[in-house]
Amino acid sequence: MLSDSIKTGIKKGIETILLLSKTIIPVYILVTILKNTPVIGWITTLFEPLMGIFNLPGEAAIVLVIGNVLDTYSAVGAIKAIQLSAMEITTLSIMISISHSLLVETAVTKKMGIKVSHALIIRIGLAIIFGVIVGRVGAII
Amino acid sequence: MIYVLKEAIVGSLESIYLVAVIVLPLMVILQIAKDYKILDKISKFFRFLTKFLGMSEDSTLPLLVGITFGIVYGAGIIIQSSKEGNISRKDMFLTSVFLIVCHAIIEDTLIFVAVGANGYILCGLRILAATIITLLLSRKIKAEQIQSDIEAGEN
Repeated sequence: MLSDSIKTGIKKGIETILLLSKTIIPVYILVTILKNTPVIGWITTLFEPLMGIFNLPGEAAIVLVIGNVLDTYSAVGAIKAIQLSAMEITTLSIMISISHSLLVETAVTKKMGIKVSHALIIRIGLAIIFGVIVGRVGAII
Repeated sequence: MIYVLKEAIVGSLESIYLVAVIVLPLMVILQIAKDYKILDKISKFFRFLTKFLGMSEDSTLPLLVGITFGIVYGAGIIIQSSKEGNISRKDMFLTSVFLIVCHAIIEDTLIFVAVGANGYILCGLRILAATIITLLLSRKIKAEQIQSDIEAGEN
């Protein structure tokens, strides 16, 4: 019966929403607090000298840090705030689209049974590999 | 400090609301599709995709939902499937690995294209990255299974 399907669907939907809320809300609160501290600035200073391996200017570090700690929308805001070439924006975009919102999303993937360390190694590792490739190839083209 | 806490609480409730308005109708539609055997047809149609990635047909749904809507929604379906015992540990692992790297590709690609990124390179490379890591880990699991089968045979 259709009404049975709808009832079961709603029940499963509510179960899923509750489960996800328990994971997302505490991490979201942590991220918001972090956003209002100087921590992001400190991490950025740390990564600025490494941006050369992706053929990116040092100031691009802020985009990567914001994207990974906060979310993609904040990273896009940071991209707009600094002067970058189209190729540099593509390099940053591929790195952030592979690895972003690490606090919230890693909490979610942990619920899927993936270890936090594994999730971080896979995402950050692939972001670095593809960042280097796109950055270097882009420089030749 | 009070301002920050307010921002955190309002923001987290807003994000849960966004999750709810997608998850609730999605779960109802999926349940109907499941009960009326529409889901089986969709899974068969995408058989080539899951087979290529070393998964069974059970992974089709969380994979498609995660790729199009986002990791949170894919996760919701994977967790639900695992509760019902409808997905093997291996399928759950490989689907999660693929989705960790490649999810919400429409939304994520468009927001970067809006600030000047090349969408084809972006989308293509992200799918490539997810495919490579999923295939590697799928091979590794297969090799470990064969190894343990051999060891079990020797004992």
